[in-house]
Amino acid sequence: MTNEFITGRLTEYQVIGRHLPSEANPTPKLYRMRIFAPNTVVAKSRFWYFLAQLRKLKKANGEIVSLNVINEKRPLKVKNFGIWLRYDSRSGTHNMYKEFREMSRTEAVEALYQDMAARHRARFGSIHILKVVEVTDADSIRRPYIKQLLQKDLKFPLPHRSANPGKKLFAYSRPSTFA
Amino acid sequence: MSGPLSENCVGTSRNSTAQTWTIRLFRQQPSRLISNPRLSTNFAMADIDVKLASWKLVEVGRLVLIRRGPFAGKLAAIVEIVDHRRVLVDGPSGEEQKTVPRHVLPLAHATLTPFTIPALPRAAGTGPVKKLWAKNEIDGKWAKSSFAQKTEKADRRKNLSDFERFKVLRLRKQARYEVQKSFAKVRATAAKS
Amino acid sequence: MSDATVGQTKQFGKGQRTVPHPAQKAMKWYPVDDESQPKKVRKTLRPTKLRESLQPGTVLILLAGRFRGKRVVLLKHLDQGVLLVTGPFKVNGVPIRRVNSRYVIATSKRLDISGVDSKTVEKISAADYFTKDKKAEKKSEEAFFKQGEKPQKKQVASARATDQKAIDQSILATVKKEEFLSSYLATTFSLRNGDKPHEMKW
Repeated sequence: MTNEFITGRLTEYQVIGRHLPSEANPTPKLYRMRIFAPNTVVAKSRFWYFLAQLRKLKKANGEIVSLNVINEKRPLKVKNFGIWLRYDSRSGTHNMYKEFREMSRTEAVEALYQDMAARHRARFGSIHILKVVEVTDADSIRRPYIKQLLQKDLKFPLPHRSANPGKKLFAYSRPSTFA
Repeated sequence: MSGPLSENCVGTSRNSTAQTWTIRLFRQQPSRLISNPRLSTNFAMADIDVKLASWKLVEVGRLVLIRRGPFAGKLAAIVEIVDHRRVLVDGPSGEEQKTVPRHVLPLAHATLTPFTIPALPRAAGTGPVKKLWAKNEIDGKWAKSSFAQKTEKADRRKNLSDFERFKVLRLRKQARYEVQKSFAKVRATAAKS
Repeated sequence: MSDATVGQTKQFGKGQRTVPHPAQKAMKWYPVDDESQPKKVRKTLRPTKLRESLQPGTVLILLAGRFRGKRVVLLKHLDQGVLLVTGPFKVNGVPIRRVNSRYVIATSKRLDISGVDSKTVEKISAADYFTKDKKAEKKSEEAFFKQGEKPQKKQVASARATDQKAIDQSILATVKKEEFLSSYLATTFSLRNGDKPHEMKW
């Protein structure tokens, strides 16, 4: 159902890279990352960005061994995701943990970027996603805004709605919003 | 965030003479009641019967009419609530052209119907939903609803051919003539007496 | 035999040489411009292909001309995209007529016209059936300058009238069989407020 060309802004990639083999070390260590990016170009770029921060290795002396898309295993199941992230605000660097209720990891990360942009004016480039974990146990959900959706027999009304939405811009009578 | 979910209790402590007040109202309700001074004085007399407005609820098993997007006009059941704005729906209708695949639907694109599939387990798969759908005769119930009948009628009117449109014109004229005739008769007798 | 392509054999002193015919000689100069090639015509005369909905017997709504708005019965396709059409004359006053298929709406109502006299239809669909008389009747210049005299009222050729009757006879019989059909053909079509012809079903 969820067509990635219409809804999905991000895709999850698995990027594997290593140092260029040399005579001293013909089989360099492989490094693997799961990266959320809009396309493969950005995915590879982010891979080198993160790797250079962690190891003494950069694009000039390394190579990408493989790059492939990671698809959601069950895209029709509602899941709770916990995301650890680190972001640079205007005054410093902060670590954060947020929870999202979505259908897939990529959708959760998309929601995260939107949330960070809205609440903190943080851009894509200033956010590092550290870890995305599906929280299967309801007791280990930490945030109340997700916890409230997990109660048994959850139900709520939709008050104050227009009965026939999207009819016309101007109407000569006020719409009925009851029921 | 907590708006639609929280429930408030009203009026239990105020008068013990009243019948058992087990009104659990949604937030919109109590504020309306309390702000009305006449109603709150009547509380003391305690003979009025305050009834809950019967809201249609977003709940698992609720049938929902899709109003926008590729499945507009079709019926689907809420399988799971994603959050306060979105639900997971599935519409395995018995009729082939009315089925809705399982997908996330924004509640803004949906209208709640009075029908539910009671005891639909949370996050049930398409197979069980289909079984319960057939067992509860959702298709039949929906076809009998006034909304479905109205849309069906509008649809039929829209798809009339030129000759059929002409026939409708003529038949309506004939019916009108008959009504006017009998009406004129009544009017004539009324004028005499 | 003096063949144009064969040159002459001439004696030059001791030697002998064949001189080519002037027509066979190479040009002394090359043409400055390329020789223009005539454009190849890629068009072909194809039989007109009419809309699927325009089957004989269909009730049409005429959109242009003297009889615009009239609902008529399609008899036959003539060549060059022209349709042969009849009212029937008795019902709505439209005679047997040729009509451009572009200025026509085909409705989904279809009559059975298998009973129509095929010989008369054949006669009418001949190339000069509608034009023959006109040429003969063409007004002279003198007649145009004659002032005051009332032009003669157009006489309907009796042959045309009989053809019309012969064609309409069986159509009228089928029209009579169905309720409202006769009055349907008799009424003209028009758009009302809020009618969207592109969204309507015909």
